[in-house]
Amino acid sequence: MSPLRAKAPRSREKRLDTLGAWFGPVSIASKEFASDEIAQRIRTFAQSSNDDLLYALRILSGIRNSVTIIHGPRGCAAAGLYHTATGSNTRWVVTNLDERDTIMGADGKLRKSILALYYRYHPSVVFIVGNPVIAINNDDIQSVVEELHEELELPIVPVYVTGFSSQNAVSGYDTALHSLLKYLSGNNASTKKNETINLLSVAEHPLDRKEALNLLALIGLELNIIPDDSTIELFRSAVAAKASIPLCPDASEYLGLILQEKYGVPLIKVSRPVGVKGTGRWLKSIAAFLGKESVTEELHTRKAAETARQLGDFSLKGIKVYISLSSANAFSVLELVEELGGEVNGLTITHLDRLHIPYLDELTTRSPSLQIHVSDGQAFEEVSILRKLSPDLYLGDSTHLGQVARLGIPVISLESFALVGYSGVVRLVRCIKTALANGSYELSLAKVSSPYHEAWFRRSHNWHIKREVK
Amino acid sequence: MAHHLEASRNSCALHGALQLFEAIDGVVPVIHSTSGCGVQHYLGVTRLSGGNDTFGSPPVSSSNIKQKHVVFGGGSRLREQLKNTVKVVQGDLYAIVTGCSTEMVGDDIPAMAKEGRDQEWPVIYTNTPGFGGDVHHGYHLAVKALIEQLPDIVKSQEKIPSGLINIWGIIPNQDPFWRGNLQEVGRLLEGIGLVPNLLLGSGQNVASWQRVPGALLNLVISPWGEFPARLLEERYATPSITFEGVPVGTAASILLRRLTEQLELDPIRTEAFITREELRLNQQFARLVDTYYRAGFQREFALVGESAQVIGIGEFLVKSFGLLPRTLVITDNPSESIREALDSRLTTILPGYHTDVLFSEDKSEIADVVRAGEPGIILGSSLEHCLALELGVPFLALSFPLFDRIVLERAYAGYRGAAVLLEDLGSAMIAGSKYINEAS
Repeated sequence: MSPLRAKAPRSREKRLDTLGAWFGPVSIASKEFASDEIAQRIRTFAQSSNDDLLYALRILSGIRNSVTIIHGPRGCAAAGLYHTATGSNTRWVVTNLDERDTIMGADGKLRKSILALYYRYHPSVVFIVGNPVIAINNDDIQSVVEELHEELELPIVPVYVTGFSSQNAVSGYDTALHSLLKYLSGNNASTKKNETINLLSVAEHPLDRKEALNLLALIGLELNIIPDDSTIELFRSAVAAKASIPLCPDASEYLGLILQEKYGVPLIKVSRPVGVKGTGRWLKSIAAFLGKESVTEELHTRKAAETARQLGDFSLKGIKVYISLSSANAFSVLELVEELGGEVNGLTITHLDRLHIPYLDELTTRSPSLQIHVSDGQAFEEVSILRKLSPDLYLGDSTHLGQVARLGIPVISLESFALVGYSGVVRLVRCIKTALANGSYELSLAKVSSPYHEAWFRRSHNWHIKREVK
Repeated sequence: MAHHLEASRNSCALHGALQLFEAIDGVVPVIHSTSGCGVQHYLGVTRLSGGNDTFGSPPVSSSNIKQKHVVFGGGSRLREQLKNTVKVVQGDLYAIVTGCSTEMVGDDIPAMAKEGRDQEWPVIYTNTPGFGGDVHHGYHLAVKALIEQLPDIVKSQEKIPSGLINIWGIIPNQDPFWRGNLQEVGRLLEGIGLVPNLLLGSGQNVASWQRVPGALLNLVISPWGEFPARLLEERYATPSITFEGVPVGTAASILLRRLTEQLELDPIRTEAFITREELRLNQQFARLVDTYYRAGFQREFALVGESAQVIGIGEFLVKSFGLLPRTLVITDNPSESIREALDSRLTTILPGYHTDVLFSEDKSEIADVVRAGEPGIILGSSLEHCLALELGVPFLALSFPLFDRIVLERAYAGYRGAAVLLEDLGSAMIAGSKYINEAS
């Protein structure tokens, strides 16, 4: 049976035993993931965190000449306004469901919206995005999609995110990509392969894509980049590519998997091209697949030397760094910090699952007591950890950097930061130098009181993380 | 039936309630909903209003309900979350707000709040599903919860100062200048011997809200302030004065004279204050006269914003600064009766000149109308910036969403705000004219 038959893929916790809450040394994490059964954790106190809807919107914001209709109440489109502000390819529309719609259903409203937007903008694709209200009511999106698809001869792609069915926002990438492949890539593997390589770029910085593209062009590759800043045609040609290589093995895991399983496009499994070593490894893995080892080796040697020259005598020696990032990115940045001579004294990652076993095992052999905190948005735990560890520098991409900086710790935001490749290393080092040179803003911030009771900081960091009782 | 919206700037009721609660020191919102609601608020509201980061993060407590709570109910999850919020987060008042999911599931929120109160925790609640309305509705719900529930929770022994005036209708972030505007309105009231109760912003806390019933008068400075004023009139028989817009420039004089008359204040003191302030503002007008004529400030403008902003800023620019109101767009969805009143007031704002007035929160509809008017400058939200570039006219961002400037203390209200507005507007025109000269 085709993996794309279902409306939505299985959640990451079902496929990969993904945890969204965990705290402990890396050696214990490694041991836990060596076993067959992994107990889910929940929190008895929680703070806002991303959900599958928000992650799906990140992907859709990159598709060119599209209209995205969030078929729900008006607040579900707030993040769309944010994407508009930060540069978005899609147009954001909300059907603005009211109380009556939640009782009577609103497929008529959806139909009207699609028609009006089609005639106004003539997009090449329309996305319909689910949300808690539609999911709870089990509203019939599918028949509207099928009817209007025929009537307008327009691809209409329903994305069945719910806001509550997965504990991990990253499942939202899968749900969006599932629908994109299902509705845009055709039903069958391509009989005629083309010469391109799929670069899987999911919610990456534009400069990161550019760096990857430039590097791969130097070894003579032609790329098909999906889904960031792509068109629906690129999803069609993706199934005929020679291979796929991810910019992040976490975010694009499902995309690569389905391209391989259903369409026969081999997936090259490799960690992010971050840091000099990481970038070299990434380039070499694609080179090995294509038999271009020598030209790549030469490129890496040249770029590595050039980077070393640009960094001069910079070293992070003696600097304790805390990292708080999405998971695969965090492990890659850890390697980069160590490459620069720094010491990582703790890690917060958004989720932890079977994809991360190699990282856990490798770290266990080197620094088994390194603390790993699994959390998305749980600032209260992170602040508690940071007060204890008091790092010299914090690298993070969360929405609560403000609370971290209030501890007086120099912060670098990696939320919108191009980190990939050799140029990413130089850019980060420049930023680190700046952050460490003057901490006066953090000292000013430290005079603002914390939102939390002192009593909370006397508890163990994982006080509110419990095993889920089924 | 509500129409679909492109890039709506009015978010939802939950987010409106959060904006109000976050603007009061010591109030901790407790979101009972799916995990993304608070993040949507942070991304789509907090981050787009140029410097309003209360907690340094999204709201600090959220029950993050999952599938099983949708199926079996989320009441017990809320009970647990509330209990632990009180232990983890410092606060003087905990305010439960709900999202669409928990409302559809039917969790009994009043019962949960009562359980909390039985433990002697200061807890209020309000049901704020996004399908119930937009931010303005959320502002109403949150204000109502405070007015109705606060007196039963924290008893105040404090003596109410005489001449206390509650100020209603400025919604944090929806007016990006809310902090500064409230402070300037407060300064005006102090100028004629009154004591302002700003209720929102730095130093405004639960105690400020406890003083609400003891006020002499409720001052309403946007259509959204009428509801709390009515509520307080019913409960405490407090009278109110409605001034539909944020008073900018000499509109402040009108407001101060009305207050003086209604409250029988000393008119000599009031006139002395007004004279001093107007003199100062008139001197500011005179200071930029050379630039005004040389750079051609006098021109047609389009203004996009909430009704209180459009009235306040629009009337100031037309009645004191010689500009022509080509297109006025009101984005905050006022009720039908208020719409009619606004429409007749604004279409004839400049006698003998035709002004287009549109009520809309749809980005493309707004763009169509503004474009058709061919204005010489656009004042609006950051969403209108690309339109100004397209038309090649200067632009000033002053309404929500505001993502290309920072606003901390800045005000456009009052006499001082009027001068600040002239600085910003004039700077935009000068920069614009230079841009156009270089381009041509």
